[in-house]
Formats: sequence, structure tokens, C-alpha cells
Amino acid sequence: MNTLLSEKHRAIRKAVRSFCDRELTPIAAAIDQEARFPWEAIEIMGKLGYFGIQAPTELGGAGLDSLSYVVAVEEVSRSSGAIGLTITVHNSVAVHPILSFGTEDQKNRWIPPLARGEKIGAFCLTEPNAGSDASAIEATAIRKNDCYITNANKVFVSNGGVADLCLIFARTDPGAGRKGISVIVAERGTRGYSVGEPEDLSGMRANPVCSIRLYDCRIPLENLLGKEGAGLQIALETLDTGRLGIAAQATGISQAALEASFRYARERQQFGTSIGSHQAVQGMLADMATMVDAARLLVYRAAILRDEGKPFSREAAMAKLYASEISTAVTDRAVQIHGGYGYSKAYAVERYYRDARVTRIYEGTSEIHRMVIAKGILEEYP
Amino acid sequence: MSFHCIACIKAAALKAPAKGMKKNSDTAQMNPFDRIALALAVNVARSCGGMITALSMGPASCSFVIYEAMAMGADKGILLSDRRFADSDTLATSTALAAAIKRLAPFDLVVFGARTSDSDTGQVGPQTAVALDLPLVSGTFDFEWKNSFFLAHRKMDEFRETYEVTLPAAFTIHPSSITPPDIALENIETAWTKKIAFWSLEDLELRADQVGLEGSPTRVISQKMAARKRHCEFIEGSVEEQAEKFVRKIKEKGII
Ligand SMILES: Cc1cc2nc3c(=O)[nH]c(=O)nc-3n(C[C@H](O)[C@H](O)[C@H](O)COP(=O)(O)OP(=O)(O)OC[C@H]3O[C@@H](n4cnc5c(N)ncnc54)[C@H](O)[C@@H]3O)c2cc1C
Repeated sequence: MNTLLSEKHRAIRKAVRSFCDRELTPIAAAIDQEARFPWEAIEIMGKLGYFGIQAPTELGGAGLDSLSYVVAVEEVSRSSGAIGLTITVHNSVAVHPILSFGTEDQKNRWIPPLARGEKIGAFCLTEPNAGSDASAIEATAIRKNDCYITNANKVFVSNGGVADLCLIFARTDPGAGRKGISVIVAERGTRGYSVGEPEDLSGMRANPVCSIRLYDCRIPLENLLGKEGAGLQIALETLDTGRLGIAAQATGISQAALEASFRYARERQQFGTSIGSHQAVQGMLADMATMVDAARLLVYRAAILRDEGKPFSREAAMAKLYASEISTAVTDRAVQIHGGYGYSKAYAVERYYRDARVTRIYEGTSEIHRMVIAKGILEEYP
Repeated sequence: MSFHCIACIKAAALKAPAKGMKKNSDTAQMNPFDRIALALAVNVARSCGGMITALSMGPASCSFVIYEAMAMGADKGILLSDRRFADSDTLATSTALAAAIKRLAPFDLVVFGARTSDSDTGQVGPQTAVALDLPLVSGTFDFEWKNSFFLAHRKMDEFRETYEVTLPAAFTIHPSSITPPDIALENIETAWTKKIAFWSLEDLELRADQVGLEGSPTRVISQKMAARKRHCEFIEGSVEEQAEKFVRKIKEKGII
């Protein structure tokens, strides 16, 4: 099945699966229903390296490659999509941009506690009036003496309710349009920093997705990530990596739905035989298995390209688009195979169905992904 | 006290062998009983400063168990890998392991899992101890290092025993001894940067007729997955009565 994985990557899959089967799968339904962030599991995951999967070991990370990263995110998401979201947002769009754009000082200060899971990171781009169009953000960070006076109303912040460190996209030069956007790192506890109530989400409910508001927050100049005006470029680069994580997350949810469906199709008897022996059900199972494999291969390809230092942006976009689209298709069929029971919270496929849905929306909707992919290809064929 | 512990581990089959099937990480896993033995050894080594060698016999495609052992805390790993070792029974396996362990001297502890998940003989540990002329404590569930002597706590059925052991000695480890801890991701990465040693028949200074089919007085004619029959039984009565009856039943069956 995993022809592209080396023994090392298989060992990573095995270790992550063994941990998740024991610690996450048993609580996944409850934390979803209670919309509870499972600190008990998160603390262990921090010690095991899940919060600094690709961060260098010198800075407290696990020092793994991108292929290992997607394997780990897939496995965590197979147990709990919401914790998969915590891990991928923290690693891909908080730790990664600090490593890529941070100064030595910033890395030494922020990465070790993040990589050990002692602090949790979040990425704050979206605003009420700026979703797909990130360049429409209204947040401002105006330099005054030794700080940026920051005002922002960020919504839908994954990990927001538990985050210690937020990457805030704001205008440092409000007159400069797209070139006036920068990234400021805001730390929880700063005066003027406030966290909204968690969104009452359809899926991913164990992740405290909140709004983060900054009112005249004085953030020191040394918390500027990268250069002033480089915000959108950082966002784009970061989202390339983020897409890999979301694609892996969607694949993990699909995989869980697939396994549950195969099990159920064998067990459930109707018309004197298991439903899996009915051709119509087999057709669904075959399509699901094929889609999941195809998604996984796209994810692996993008990760391997990244590990080889080659351009991977389009491939990551394709992986994200495809893996998220098929995850709604696969989880939808999983519900269908479970019949009425699949529509009940008694079976996990009901949760997979809700969790999968958002992967087509966040870190760039499917429509935006299609636009980006097509635009790139069209430019190659003038 | 710093000591050298050798942990013997097997890549146990997950599936019955079929024609053309290779033993690798898809079809085999580290024998879960060996994982427990290794975890206990790692614990002891951490607490008194010892070092651990993981030792396994199997085809090169099974070297993943050695890397996994290193990710769990073994310091170095050796795989006895030679076509001529193929089809060894428990005696031939013990002969090869004993030869390798001799080569690894000096050592203080040799630990084995209580049995394997794919053949369940429980013979390799005791046989290897005999071949090496070592004392053996079976069913060990904990070690204790007193200043001048070494204690092994043993668990068998309803009894607990404590042995004072002169080292070097061999131990088979009780399955309830320890829950192997989760492996940190970084340790997997580090383990795979290490080199493992591959030893052949010549390295062990054994003759071809001491190992493999030739060195095996017993042979497996066929092996297939056992079809497990499940049946469902309803226990009647009040909750207390049901609990009573249930406990009695599983005791009768030797499950507890
Ligand atoms: C659970 C969850 C977690 C999230 N986590 C984060 C986070 O951590 N950080 C963060 O910054 N954001 C986060 N988001 C926000 C998410 O990234 C946005 O919801 C997403 O970018 C879409 O923006 P929007 O919701 O404003 O939709 P809109 O942009 O208003 O889009 C509405 C619809 O219009 C379509 N559309 C918009 N523009 C175009 C166009 N040009 N061409 C074609 N179709 C178009 C979209 O595809 C979509 O179908 C999260 C959202 C959710 C639900």
C-alpha cells in the first residue's frame, strides 16, 4: 500500500498510530461532543514531539522531514480530525513560518517551547471582511516608538482558545495596499489581547476555534516576523506548507471512514448476507478506496518534492484540493454504507462526515485552489 | 554500576507465510513480548547507567525491528542475517543467538520475551541460556539493583518470588512487567541514522549444519491463521450475580 514510504517512515506511521489508537481514538467522540480540548493527550503529544515535528532538534523539535510530517498528521487525523487540526496548524502555519522568516533571536525565543508543546501557536489571517481575499484585511499595526500599536479583529482562529502565540497579519503601512501588510507575533497575556467564545462548529469541535481581538495592543518591534510589508508573501509561502498538512488531515479522516465502512460492510447482514456482498455497496467501497489512495499519493508527492528542495506549491495545492474534495465524498459514502446508523452519533462516521467538510473551506477554499492551479498552468501554455 | 544488557528480539509474523511473501514491516512486527522485555531493560539501563544491544535473527528485510529497538532506547543493534539461518527451529535459533551473545561478551544480562506471538513456544530464552551455561529466571517482572547484588522479581500464576542472581544471567520477562512507552518521534529519526551490524554464519563461527533446516531437529510442516470461533453467551441474574458468574467463568478458562 505505501510503496513510497521507507522503513523509517513506516516506523513513524506505526508509532503514531499506536499512540493515537490508545490515547486519541477512545476519547475522540467525547471531545467532539463536549467541544473539549484534551489537554491530557496534548501534554503527552508535546513530550513525544508532535508539536515540533519538523523543527530542528537543537531547538527542541523532532527534526523529521515533510514526508514524515504528512504521515504523522494523517495518522493523528485518522483518530481525531480536530486534534489533527491542532497539530497541522501549530506545525505548518505557526512553527514553520517562524523557522523560515524568524531571526535567530526569535527562533531561540519562540521555537523551543512551541516545539515541546508547552506553548501553542495560531495563525490569524481571516477577518470578518477578509476571507478568501486576504489582501482585504483591515487590522493595523502602527509603529510608535518601540512598539506596534495593533488593532485587529481576527476570526476563525484554529487553536485560538488555547494559543499562547499568534501570528497576526496586519497593515503596518495602511496606504501601501498589498505591500503594506506585515506579520506581528502577539503573545497571550499582552494588554489588549482578548479571546472570543469558541465557535459552535459543525465539526472539528474539539479544536477551540475562536476570534482573537487586539485593542491598542502594544507589541514590541522585535516581534515583527520578516520584513515590514512582506506579510502577504509570508502568508503565501506558509500556506503552501499548510496545504500539505490539511491535505494529509483530509486523507486521515477519509482513511478512518474507509476502514469503518469496510468493517461495517462485513458485519451488517441484510437479505441474508453481509451488505458488503451486494454489488452496489462494493462499488462504493471500491471508489472510496481508490480515492483515498489517489489522495495519499498526491500528498506524498508534494511532500517528497518539498523534501527534495524542489518547487511543490502547485502539487501541494492539487493535493489539498483533491484530498479535501474526496474526503467529503468518501465520508458521505461511509454514512450511506452505515445506513441510518451512519446518521447517528452512535457511529464514528457521523463525526468523520462533519469533520471532513471544512477541509474544503479553510486554508483556501476549493474554488480558490482551482483558480490558483489553473492560473499557474495557463501561464505555462501562453 | 554500568552494565551491558543484550535484548533478543524477533520479527514475528503478522500473517501466515504464503508463497513469495517476504517478511518485512508489512507482514511482521516486533514480537510484542520482546517489546516488553526491551522496555524493561531500557528502564533498568536508564536507572543504573547500562547499555543495551538489540539482537535479532532474520532476513535483512527484518532489520526494521532493530531500528525500532534503537528508537526505544537500545544503543546498538545486530542482525544475524544469512540465507543458511533460514528455517531454523527454536534449537537452531538458540544456537545462533548463543554464538552471537558469546561474541558480544562481556555482558551482564540477556533478556527475552516470554514467548512469541507467532509460534508461542517460549523455548528460545531457556534454550539459549542453557547453550551459554547461564542461570535463567523465567517470568521476571522487575529488576532491582542492590549495591552488591542483583535481584530479579518473578511472577508465576499466584506467586511472587524474589531471586538473588549472580550475573551474567538470562531472563525471560513477564508480559505484565511493564507497558512499553510511546516512542518519541525524534528517537525514530535518530535510530535511523545509526548503523546496524549484520553478522553471517562465519561471523558466528558456526558450521552450516548447526543452523537452518539442517540444524533443526523439528520442522514446521504447515502454518495457517487459526479461524477463531466466537460465540455469545448471556449471563442472567442481578448485576452482582452477573459479575460473580462472569469472574468465575473467566477464571475457569484460565484468563485470570
Ligand atoms: C474550522 C475553521 C478553522 C479556521 N482556521 C483558520 C485559521 O486558523 N486562521 C485563519 O486565518 N483562518 C481560518 N479559517 C478561516 C478560513 O480560512 C476561511 O473561512 C476561508 O479562507 C474562506 O473565507 P470566508 O469564510 O470568508 O469565505 P469567503 O471568502 O466569503 O467565500 C465564500 C464563498 O465564495 C467563494 N469565493 C470567494 N472568492 C472567490 C473567487 N475569487 N472566485 C471564486 N469563488 C470565490 C469561496 O470559495 C466560497 O465558496 C478557519 C475556518 C474554519 C471554518
